[in-house]
Amino acid sequence: MAPAVRSERFWSLRPVSLAFLFVTVTYLGYLSGFPDGFGPLVAAGGVIAAAGMRVGFSRRVAAYAPVPALVVLGLEAVQTPVGIGTELLAGLGGLAFLVWLADDPARPLGGAARSLPTVAVPALALGIAWSSALFLPGGVLPLGVAGALLALTIAVIAFLVARPAIFDREEG
Amino acid sequence: MSARPSRPLRWRPLSPLLLGAGAVLVLASVLGRNPTPLFVALPLLLAPVAAAFVGPRSSPSVRADLSVEGAAAEVNVRGVVAPEPEVDARDLVVELDRPPSLVGDPHPSFDYAKNEIRFRANWTAPEPTITEVDPPRVLWRDAVGLVERETELSSSPVMVARYPPELLRIGAVRLEHTTLLPGETPSRRVGESGEFHGIRLARPEDPPRQINWYASARAGQRLANEYELEKTGDILLILDARPTPLGGSLDARLFAIVRAAAVGLADSFLRVKSRVGLGVFGEFLDVVPLATGRAQRIRIDTALRQAHLSTVTAPAERCAVAVRHHFPPGLTTVVFSSLSDDASDDLSPYLRRRGFPVVVLSPSPLPMIAAASPLRGADEELAARIARLVRRDRIARAWKDSPTIDWDDYWSLGRFVDFVRRPLVRRA
Repeated sequence: MAPAVRSERFWSLRPVSLAFLFVTVTYLGYLSGFPDGFGPLVAAGGVIAAAGMRVGFSRRVAAYAPVPALVVLGLEAVQTPVGIGTELLAGLGGLAFLVWLADDPARPLGGAARSLPTVAVPALALGIAWSSALFLPGGVLPLGVAGALLALTIAVIAFLVARPAIFDREEG
Repeated sequence: MSARPSRPLRWRPLSPLLLGAGAVLVLASVLGRNPTPLFVALPLLLAPVAAAFVGPRSSPSVRADLSVEGAAAEVNVRGVVAPEPEVDARDLVVELDRPPSLVGDPHPSFDYAKNEIRFRANWTAPEPTITEVDPPRVLWRDAVGLVERETELSSSPVMVARYPPELLRIGAVRLEHTTLLPGETPSRRVGESGEFHGIRLARPEDPPRQINWYASARAGQRLANEYELEKTGDILLILDARPTPLGGSLDARLFAIVRAAAVGLADSFLRVKSRVGLGVFGEFLDVVPLATGRAQRIRIDTALRQAHLSTVTAPAERCAVAVRHHFPPGLTTVVFSSLSDDASDDLSPYLRRRGFPVVVLSPSPLPMIAAASPLRGADEELAARIARLVRRDRIARAWKDSPTIDWDDYWSLGRFVDFVRRPLVRRA
């Protein structure tokens, strides 16, 4: 294979965002409670399958590429024990997944950089949530407040998603 | 008073996937009394809403310029899509549809920049055709691919006309005058019988006898003579759009070829300021009256683009009466007819009786029939021979009424052009 073609293949994988996703999810798998140390293997398998589906098949198959990555991310998160570090790592996994989605080889280069305004909003929310978990004292009252806020957030998101016209600016 | 934006935001399939996964993780977190899945769910739940807020809040304006290049069968479409300054062009998705009469890779290649997208598509016209390349569909899509919005596109379709190149030089044919005051519109024409007008730089298509060799030798570059003739006359193009026993599919393909040839013929004669008229005879005769100039070219192009095959066979007498009603007799008339059955043979005798000298240009269906034939080997050869004999017999019978050119190589009209350019041979 010619060096130019090899280089083009390599860059079509969008290696930076893929490495970010791979490292966070695999490390989450390492910290997870999967028996016999299968966590990193499952995580790595899911991410490699997702990357392969995106670059090795037709656009129709590539549309389903996020599914394996999302499944392993969810499985690892559910199995991971409670801990300040693991919670932060799980959140970073979610953000890495968004950045990897933005680096679609079917679209122009630089998708990850252009997605920063979109990713910044959940990143900010994640930072607030994590620092709250870290610094606020535990107890029944904060747990209740957090539960109520969570329920409210989901209700607001459901409301916004059901009415996309809310995002339109009316023109005169 | 405010109006709602015409093209609202749309969620892409990835958004429900993320929201569904986020909801499942929230549920798992609550059931498992483990906050870790909640931290994964948070970005998944917030990203679609963030994408919708970060993007343009109404349809962005986009300008698209299309152009068509290439010669003969090549159709090279080039385009530039430029959004308004606030929108990054790399967030636009451009979809260009290939017209059905063209073949080749349907996906154009794109060059993205921050402020514009350039694209090119290299297609091929397997047969002469006139068609339109519609403006591309342009969508704004956020970088993650969660939401999209249609843009306000300002563009217009471009016409693709591909016809045999010989038609470009058919305009030099001397046509019959049908106006009372011929010569009112002088036109610059190339030929050996007109008044000498001047000398110009030679073009590649100039024949050797047109080159002024003495002047070329003095100037050190090829120069050609240019002559000025009076307006040479008028021509009428009649397209037979009646159905034939060949069937709808073959009829449609032949009619598409005929429309392309008619565009080429009209273009060529209009370029030298001859007057050109058009009639499309299906059930009735649709007419573009005789005229010349750029407006007439647009009228004829539009009429031919919109022309379609009739579903009903109409008597040829009706066509001849309508032609006589709309056009003066004595007009040189080119009839395009496939001559696939006896009914399609009868246009020229009726037109001749009404005073129109007719030349029939008949696209042969045989190449199409041969390409679609399931026969192979000796059977195929025998069938092709019989079909050729039948065709020759039909052309010979049509010749009794008027000169008839069998057009079997769709990308070449050399025989037709040679015939109409040599009046002495034609008379013989």
